[in-house]
Amino acid sequence: MWKKIGDRESGKLRPNSFITRIRSNRASSLHLSNHKELVSSHRGSVNSLQVDLTEGRYLLSGAADASLAIYDIQRATDYEAGGLIAKHKPILVDKQHQNAHKYAISTAIWYPIDTGLFVTGSYDHHIKVWDTNTTQVVMDFKMPGKVYRTAMSSLATSHMLIAAATEDVQVRLCDMASGAFAHTLSGHRDGVMAVEWSTSSEWILMTGGCDGAIRFWDIRRAGCFSVLDQSHSQLGRRPPLADKSTTKVSTSKARAPPRKVGSGSSSKHSGNSKIIKQTKGSAKQRLHPGLLTSQDRATAHYGAVLGLKATEDGMYLLSAGSDSRLRLWDIQSGCNTLVHYEIVRLQSSKAIQLDVSQDSGVVFLPCMTSIKAFDMWSGKSKMTLQGHYENVNCCCYSSHDQELYTGGNDRQILIWSPLKQIPADVDECDRSTGQPLAADEDNWSD
Amino acid sequence: MEDDGNTVAVVVGLIDKATNSTKPDLDPRLLKSIKSVVRHSDSELRFAVENLMSLMKRDHSQVRYLTLTIIHELFMRSKLFRTLVVENLDQLLTLSVGFRRNQPLPAPPAIASKLRTKAIEYLEKWNTTFGIHYRQLRLGYDYLKNTLRYQFPNLQANAARIQQERRERELRTKEILLKKYELLKSNISSIKDEVNSIVDEISECLDILISSKEENVPLDPVDEEDFEDFRNVELRTIRENSLKEADKVQENSENKVVFDALRELYKLLVTKHLVAVQESISVLIRVELSDNRLRDSMLKEFIDIRNHLKLIKKKCEEAGCVISTRENDEEEDIWEEGASESFNTSKQVTPDKPDKQNDSAGCSNSKPTNAKATNVKLKANPDMDPLKSKLMVEAPVMRWGSFLDNWGSNRGYMANQRGLEVEAHWGRVDHDAVIPANKIAELNVQATVYEEEHKEIQQCRAPLKKGGLCERRDLKVCPFHGPIVARDDEGTPLNQENQEPDTKNFSREELLNQAVKNVRERDKEVVKKREYDKKELKRAKLAKIRGHNEAVLRDAAIASTSVSSAVGDSDLGREKDSLAKMLKKKATAKDRLATRLLSRKAIARQANLEDDHLKYREAFPNQW
Repeated sequence: MWKKIGDRESGKLRPNSFITRIRSNRASSLHLSNHKELVSSHRGSVNSLQVDLTEGRYLLSGAADASLAIYDIQRATDYEAGGLIAKHKPILVDKQHQNAHKYAISTAIWYPIDTGLFVTGSYDHHIKVWDTNTTQVVMDFKMPGKVYRTAMSSLATSHMLIAAATEDVQVRLCDMASGAFAHTLSGHRDGVMAVEWSTSSEWILMTGGCDGAIRFWDIRRAGCFSVLDQSHSQLGRRPPLADKSTTKVSTSKARAPPRKVGSGSSSKHSGNSKIIKQTKGSAKQRLHPGLLTSQDRATAHYGAVLGLKATEDGMYLLSAGSDSRLRLWDIQSGCNTLVHYEIVRLQSSKAIQLDVSQDSGVVFLPCMTSIKAFDMWSGKSKMTLQGHYENVNCCCYSSHDQELYTGGNDRQILIWSPLKQIPADVDECDRSTGQPLAADEDNWSD
Repeated sequence: MEDDGNTVAVVVGLIDKATNSTKPDLDPRLLKSIKSVVRHSDSELRFAVENLMSLMKRDHSQVRYLTLTIIHELFMRSKLFRTLVVENLDQLLTLSVGFRRNQPLPAPPAIASKLRTKAIEYLEKWNTTFGIHYRQLRLGYDYLKNTLRYQFPNLQANAARIQQERRERELRTKEILLKKYELLKSNISSIKDEVNSIVDEISECLDILISSKEENVPLDPVDEEDFEDFRNVELRTIRENSLKEADKVQENSENKVVFDALRELYKLLVTKHLVAVQESISVLIRVELSDNRLRDSMLKEFIDIRNHLKLIKKKCEEAGCVISTRENDEEEDIWEEGASESFNTSKQVTPDKPDKQNDSAGCSNSKPTNAKATNVKLKANPDMDPLKSKLMVEAPVMRWGSFLDNWGSNRGYMANQRGLEVEAHWGRVDHDAVIPANKIAELNVQATVYEEEHKEIQQCRAPLKKGGLCERRDLKVCPFHGPIVARDDEGTPLNQENQEPDTKNFSREELLNQAVKNVRERDKEVVKKREYDKKELKRAKLAKIRGHNEAVLRDAAIASTSVSSAVGDSDLGREKDSLAKMLKKKATAKDRLATRLLSRKAIARQANLEDDHLKYREAFPNQW
């Protein structure tokens, strides 16, 4: 650490790489934080966690008892044990609200532009948009079935659509501007468990269904334009660095079969234009013009797709399935990169929320009662974070603080943070009681 | 390397040895050696943690329990141990508390429950001591407490609560004392007045008595003459006492009124004022005040008053009240069976009672069950009127009971003036309702408790073959020797004449037949028993072989799974055997029945029956 700082001082190290190194270092040394804890106000399992995208300060959590809470993760509300333990109490708890959800909240996400709004989806078939400051419901969408997951595009400049994955086979896009469904995307053969917007294009939506298919949609047109196929693989992966990506793309292009849709295109928009070009030849009405029937049957997992996560650069997609597999997909070629992640077992009944560190190095995945951290490119298990006493449902990595927040069925929200470099100089005396704290020292009587 | 390996073997071996016991507690010597070995080397500590965690996974609650005790001992001492254990706390809790449904605690169940309670207790202790340093501890504690709702012993909170309660109680007593003190402060003058008045009265009484005594003085010199004759010390003391008695003013008809008054005053003094003063002194001593001057002065005054009162009391006793009490004592000595005190006092206060009451007194006099006491009483009162003494002689001896309270009284009782709340009841209330005397008499019938007559059960005393007499005590019939009759020392029945006709009722042949039959039956039984014994023996042998096989198999299984089977030596094996025995369920009657009923043969028979039934149903479908 000090060597790196010295390098940076002498100018050997670029600022960006310095930052990324420190960050990845910290991200790979996560421990259960003893100095910071969230006082969970939930009486049911925590299903969804998200740190807001603008400030990185407010953590939104939704739980199975239809309660939701917002925590300020930067400033503690009170301290315990002489300032040793910072407690974060929820600044907003919503229970027994007259417009609140009736059943478990399955998803709670922030409005990506600011923290004035957030969206919750629940098993009571409703998606609600809340005003944070007044804690009032400002909009209510009635869905045809249980809502499993909602998503909003963080890049969107021209639309305000909430993509909703529900029990229903159709994915609906709820327009916050008009309060109506803007679009209904049909193609899945079973309920949809996971939904994720592309991080490179505001028009591309990715959904994963209980039928094991991951479908890519261009929301400007009808039908999906790509279905990921697990048997359609690409040996070798493109390296994460941007400068090398072009060569890798070319290799993948060479290896890819000629009829594949999105392959070989250097950017999304050009790919789309290619798709549009190909529409002429297609006869099927329901399918996207560029999509073949055989491709439409393709599956990404043997079983339901439980979670989806696109990397920050928009080039890769991670999917977790109830077949206890985590797969890394190259978005552009639509190929399975065949990275083997060392997973023992995933819980298969509920949608899970996985997360990726900012520089796409570490994948955090809830595996039963623990959270596993994988190296994304090799699939090696880096850490196993054990702290929850029941199944973990969701995890959320805050790249700002390099902290991981996890929520589980044991109603706790745990904070995993890198070890403190310098121990805070707190006096070993409890201010409230004035009694000296029991020192954590060896105590041999004989 | 060599050295390292050796020491590791030592730690692991020690732990294995300590946990391989069926005793409820760890061997303290082993524990001490484990601690001392682990203390000096971190690598050994790591090995110990590993070994302990693997031992916790054993399928035996006893092993887990002992392991948990070792873990606790090391946890409270070593920081490194804590950090290592805390990482796997959920696993440790799963194995020790058994909160996961798919991983219950292993057999034997009694020790498993002990293990659970201990684990919970330890977790609480760890949490209170080291909770702030380890988030995992807090989490585990919180999970077990708030999510799974385990009952923690809550030692700390309990202690705090008890402390709090004590403090509150003290505060309350202090308040009460303060209140009393205030009351005393306001009442002190009146108390003083009362005391002074009674003291004055008593001194007046005494003065009167003393003045009357001076008239009696001339009697004294008469006694003086004989003084020299008494050489014996005892006799002399007796004499001195009697002289002193004589010194005292004797109660007679003249000064009787004065004595009565004095007695009453004395009683008042002792029972009321002295007690009150004593109490107020104790209040003054105990009360805590910011300003102590007033209290000190009051205390001084009260002590003075008390001393004064004591002086007066002494004087009174000297003067004669002591006589009255002595009289009381004597009477009580005689009336052993607790003559009611109210009766005594009434007798003293009013010596000339109405006849009726005298009667009742007579009756209660005869209360003592032992005749001796009544005799003494009679002797003691020779001057009783002859009628009464005559009656006393033939009066029945009664047990004391509440019916004696109004013996012979002819009074009616007010029904509604017994402290009952009658206003709130419905209906009219007659405040003047009277229960007539005869009804009262009916209500007060003497109640007696049935007491069984104590009767010694006779011994059978029939002669035995091996010599001696049968010592069985049966009420009527001895199961071995027939009806119990009186027998002499040899055991032969005394009244043969009575007995014989009974035996003669049977004819001789009948008797013979009976004897033959008896012998045959006995033979049959013996044969049966022998067969049964043989079977039993065979079965026992089989069971033994089977048990041995099982034990060997289990040993092999345990040895193959355990990390440290290499260390186990011969005596370890024996220990294992006993551990395995703990696991084995004791076969109850139910189990034996189950094996019989669920055996293949029985099931087959049942199935056959079922088949028959089915066939029947098919053949005759119209019948059911």
